[in-house]
Amino acid sequence: MSTTSPARPVAAAEAAVTGLGDRQHDDPAAPGGGRGRRGLLRSPLLRRVTIRVASAGVVVLVWWAVSAWGTPDPTLRPSPALVWRTLVDLSTLQDGGYNGLTWWQHLQISLGRVALGTAIGVAAGLVLGLAMGVITPLRIGLEPLLTFVRNLPPLAYFSLVVIWFGIDETPKIILLAIAALPPVAVVTAGAVLGAPVALVEAGRSIGLGRLAVVRRVVIPSALPEVLTGIRLSVAIAYSSVVAAETINGLPGIGGMVRDAQAYNNTAVVIVGILAIGTSGLVIDSLITTVAARVTPWRGHT
Amino acid sequence: MSPIISRSRHTRRAALLAATLAVGVGLSACASTGATTSGGTAADGSKVLRIAYQKFPSGDLVVKNQKLLEKALPGWTIEWKAFDSGASINTAFIAKAVDIGAIGSSPVARGLSAPLNIPYSVVYVLDVAGENEALVARKDSGVTTLEGLKGKRIATPFASTSHYSLLAALDHVGLKESDVTLVDLQPQDILAAWQRGDIDATYVWLPVLDKLRESGTQLVSSAEVAEWGKPTLDLGVVSNDLIAKHPEVVEAWRKAEAAGTATILNDPTAAAAAVAAELETTPEDAASQLKQGVFLTPEELTSATWLGSDGAPGGVAASLHDAAGFLAQQKKVPTAPAADVFTKAVYTKGLPGALGQ
Repeated sequence: MSTTSPARPVAAAEAAVTGLGDRQHDDPAAPGGGRGRRGLLRSPLLRRVTIRVASAGVVVLVWWAVSAWGTPDPTLRPSPALVWRTLVDLSTLQDGGYNGLTWWQHLQISLGRVALGTAIGVAAGLVLGLAMGVITPLRIGLEPLLTFVRNLPPLAYFSLVVIWFGIDETPKIILLAIAALPPVAVVTAGAVLGAPVALVEAGRSIGLGRLAVVRRVVIPSALPEVLTGIRLSVAIAYSSVVAAETINGLPGIGGMVRDAQAYNNTAVVIVGILAIGTSGLVIDSLITTVAARVTPWRGHT
Repeated sequence: MSPIISRSRHTRRAALLAATLAVGVGLSACASTGATTSGGTAADGSKVLRIAYQKFPSGDLVVKNQKLLEKALPGWTIEWKAFDSGASINTAFIAKAVDIGAIGSSPVARGLSAPLNIPYSVVYVLDVAGENEALVARKDSGVTTLEGLKGKRIATPFASTSHYSLLAALDHVGLKESDVTLVDLQPQDILAAWQRGDIDATYVWLPVLDKLRESGTQLVSSAEVAEWGKPTLDLGVVSNDLIAKHPEVVEAWRKAEAAGTATILNDPTAAAAAVAAELETTPEDAASQLKQGVFLTPEELTSATWLGSDGAPGGVAASLHDAAGFLAQQKKVPTAPAADVFTKAVYTKGLPGALGQ
């Protein structure tokens, strides 16, 4: 991970200021162990991991404290242990999983929907954004429309999508595609428009035609921002998955959360939320990694 | 980047972390103390009664429309909160956000079972499901009998009385849940899916049901399912907290409901007008919907068949217990509680005299 991080100076600076970290991690019970740990924590990667694990630990601790307060209430405040047991139960089909599938299979189905919906939305958004960046009247005409759609919560138009496209896969994919399209289109249009004039002029002066300028100059210079747009699109599509699965969402992780909610099965709701959140985190860091690999010239013009 | 900038970044991050934690802890503290309890106080100093209602035709809508409760409890501010399913009303009771609710018997059976164990009691039977909930198949699907549903796609709002009746009807003809494809849809979505031909059949209630009957074949109604020993009811439930603190309010509410039901039985035109206003439909439509439910007279209500009388809880308890057993068998609840849990959850204090007829 750290080798792909473009922010080396930050890591070095973090290593330079060790005071705060050390105070956080000093263990009064073991005064002799401080020095060795201090050495270990000098490694920036290890420090990052330690801090993240510690912050997750604090969250679980607070959660546990809240759940252990007074009489246990599995509906309002399910304990971490109960959620863990539920997670383990739903990981096998021994007790039938949830509606006949494990939580992992539900998640896979949702990920498939997000992948397809985002692919369609991003592809259409790229084409549209590029066209908008190059053809000014198109941009002027479409910009308000895109902003309009971008600011709509998916649930607002989902009823319409259901009336038009039914209750099967199509409306879910369409909803995710609609959610994914505007960010990437707007960012792409802006990036294309913002291609350095000097570079475009230089391209023209060496005899490149309009299309060639777009291909050789505009697209490479826009790519880093476009990748940011894609990352945004994926995040928005991903956060719309529960909305897309509000109607006939089973199987699917969002449908599982909703169904469990109808039966006030809070532990399953939390398992679903953890699955959605964690996979979103993994997907986001994958995209960041890929973006750093594909556009090493990022930050330089 | 200088270490100084970086240090301030660091401090900011620490401050942010601290702030996030503080907010988190604060929120969780709110969650346990912020929920107002029954008999809370409104801005003008009067006490607040929070009522969860649903938009199905019943005496409850007459009470709401004619402001019977507001007249009976002048010192109280009545807050009517609309819900679209018993499941969400259960959630509201768990969160201590409502005091009284109009809710189907199937969600109540679940609410009184572990792990929910909601501290509420049944104080009234609003109606007995008759022709107002039914299983209909689209004419195009070619299904004309219950047995013909094998392999078909059936929509119903999950965790509702209709869901319960559908499982009972399938069970009656020896079909398992896995023999059909069940789809969880809310009534308005059922209508859309039906019109598009996405589903073959549906178990649902009025007013959507009436629209579907025009292009469908009715396979069974809840009146018939009741004859097979699986009746569904719409119940009035009250939090045990309110019963303990303000039994007089519970009594006033019960009287108001009895007056609302009496209007349906004795003055159908006035009842239809009130219900039509609440459902935003025509009085004719409301009248036809009201005719399809079974509404109990005070004598029927307090008989051993239904709610029962003081000291002798009636058949509602056994029916709820039976429903819980069925839900456990269908793996909708882990286990059904003992019968006396339901007997204790039927509040009959002062009946039948307290209905004030």
